[in-house]
Amino acid sequence: MKERNGKRRVAVAPVDEFPPGARLEIKVGNRSIAVFNVKGEYFAIFGLCPHQSAPLSRGRLQGTVVCNEHTNWEKEWAHDGEVLVCPGHAMEFDLRTGKAFGYGMKLRTYDVIVEDDWVTVIL
Amino acid sequence: MANSKDSIDVKRVEAAFNPVQDQDLDIYGEELKKYTIVDVDVHVDDTLQNMLPYMDGHFGKRLEAVLAADFMGEPHNSLRNMIAHVSWLGAAYDKHPRAKLATKEDLLERMEYGIIDYSILFPSELLPIGYLPDPKWAAALASAYNEYMVDAYSNVAGVKLAIVVSPKSVEHAVSEIEKHASNDDVVTVSIPDVGVNPPLGDEKYWPIYEAAEACNLPVSLHGIEALIHDNYPLRVSHFPTLMQVHSMGFPFTSMLQVMSVVCEGVPVRYPNLKFCVMEAGITWVPFIMHRLDTAYRQYRTELPALEAQPSEYISKWYWGTHELEKLPKKGDLSKLLDLYQGHNTTMWASDWPHLERDLIAGLMYYDLDDDVRAKILGKNAIDFYGFTT
Ligand code: FES
Repeated sequence: MKERNGKRRVAVAPVDEFPPGARLEIKVGNRSIAVFNVKGEYFAIFGLCPHQSAPLSRGRLQGTVVCNEHTNWEKEWAHDGEVLVCPGHAMEFDLRTGKAFGYGMKLRTYDVIVEDDWVTVIL
Repeated sequence: MANSKDSIDVKRVEAAFNPVQDQDLDIYGEELKKYTIVDVDVHVDDTLQNMLPYMDGHFGKRLEAVLAADFMGEPHNSLRNMIAHVSWLGAAYDKHPRAKLATKEDLLERMEYGIIDYSILFPSELLPIGYLPDPKWAAALASAYNEYMVDAYSNVAGVKLAIVVSPKSVEHAVSEIEKHASNDDVVTVSIPDVGVNPPLGDEKYWPIYEAAEACNLPVSLHGIEALIHDNYPLRVSHFPTLMQVHSMGFPFTSMLQVMSVVCEGVPVRYPNLKFCVMEAGITWVPFIMHRLDTAYRQYRTELPALEAQPSEYISKWYWGTHELEKLPKKGDLSKLLDLYQGHNTTMWASDWPHLERDLIAGLMYYDLDDDVRAKILGKNAIDFYGFTT
C-alpha cells in the first residue's frame, strides 16, 4: 500500500490480469471492497451489503426498471450492465454512484486508477 | 480509515448464480461456533414427483396427470407455480439469482459447514393444501408428503421433521398425527394456514389440537404467499404485484389465525399444546397482542372461556424470525422483544433455500445480550420442539 496526499493507494491487479468482465474482492484490514472492470472501465464500491452483509463482489451486473418524471412515469429498462445486484436478496446499487435504487442511501465508492500498469484503488 | 499496516487480501471472484449463504459470509469467523444453532424453517425438494410413489389408485393417476402438464418450464411442475406464481412470473426481470430446490445432498452439505446444528424441515409445495378445494386430494397429498419425508429424512443427523396435515380433513389429520408421533425425528405438526376458512380456532379443528397435545407435538402454522384462494383476509385478485401479496399475505394470515385460536379458547382447552408461527416476520406480534387486549376489555363476555387477556396467551406462542425485519437501530430488536415478551419464544429461521431466506447476519446486526442471542439462535427452538441434543 502506498500513500500520497494523505490517500492510500492499493494496487490490486496488473492491468492485463484484470480484463473486462472480471471482478475482485479485496480486503484492506477488515474493510471489504468490490472492484469491477465493466467494458474497460473500473469501479470500486464498498463490499458488504447493508442488508445482511452479503459480498457485493459476487453480485450480478444487470439493468433495472425505472419510472420517474423523465420517463413520463412509465416503466423503462435502464442502466443496463451497471446495476450491481446483491447476491443476498437482490438490493440494487448504481455502480457509478453507490446509490441504492429505491432507497435513500448510498454506498461508498472509491476512485480507481491505473498506475505503473497496476489497477489501483484509492482509499 | 485504512492504516498502512492493514493487511491486504485480493481475491478473484465470479458473480454468484445461486444466492449466497451463511457460509459465504466470513464476517463472523469463530463467533458463531459458540452457539447451538437451530434453523427452524428449512425447505428441501418436495416437488410433486417425489410424492408419486406414495400415491395409489386414482390419486396416483391424478398426480401423473399433474406431472404431465407443461408448466412454463418451472422445475418439476410446482404446485405453487401452478396455483399462483404464474401470475407474476417475470416480474422480477430475473433480477434474483435463481433459488434452487435443495436436494438432500445440498441440505447435508449446508449442515456440514458446521454453522447450522439442526434443521427443521417444513413443506413448501404442500403449503397450498390448506385451501385446495378437494379435501380428499389435499389429504392424499399430505399423507404422501409425510411418508416421503419420513422415508427420506428420518435418522439424518441434525435433521428434524414437521409433518403436514390438511385442516380441510380433520379426521385424516388426526390419523396422520397418531401415525407419525412415535417417530422421534417428527417434532411438530405443521398446518398450512393461508386461506383456511373458517379460521383455525373453529371447533371443527379441535380434534387436531387434541391429538397433537396428546402426542406431545407442538403445532406450527406456516403460510405461503400464493394467495389464489378466495378467502379472508387477502385474495390474490387484490394485488397487481407479488411484492404486495408477499408482504401482507403472511402476517395478515398469521394475525387472523392467532386471533382465532386464542379467542376461541384453544389455549384454555389444550393448555399443554404449544403453537408457533413461521415465515411471517415478528414486528406485528406486539400489535396483535395489544390490539386484542384493547377490544377484550369491552367484549370480554363474547369470550367467556378465556381466563386472561389475549396477550397473556399470545405471549406463550413461539415465533420463527423469518423474514426478520431490518429495523433502523441496532437496539430496536431488543425493544421489540420486550414489547411481546419474546426472549424465550423467538426462534431463528432462515427459510433456506428460498430466495428470501435470511442470513444469520440479519440477526447478528442487532445488539442483543449474548444469552438472548443464544436463545434465539437455538435454545428456544430446542424448548419448543422438545428434542434432545
Ligand atoms: S444481503 Fe444484500 S439484499 Fe440481503
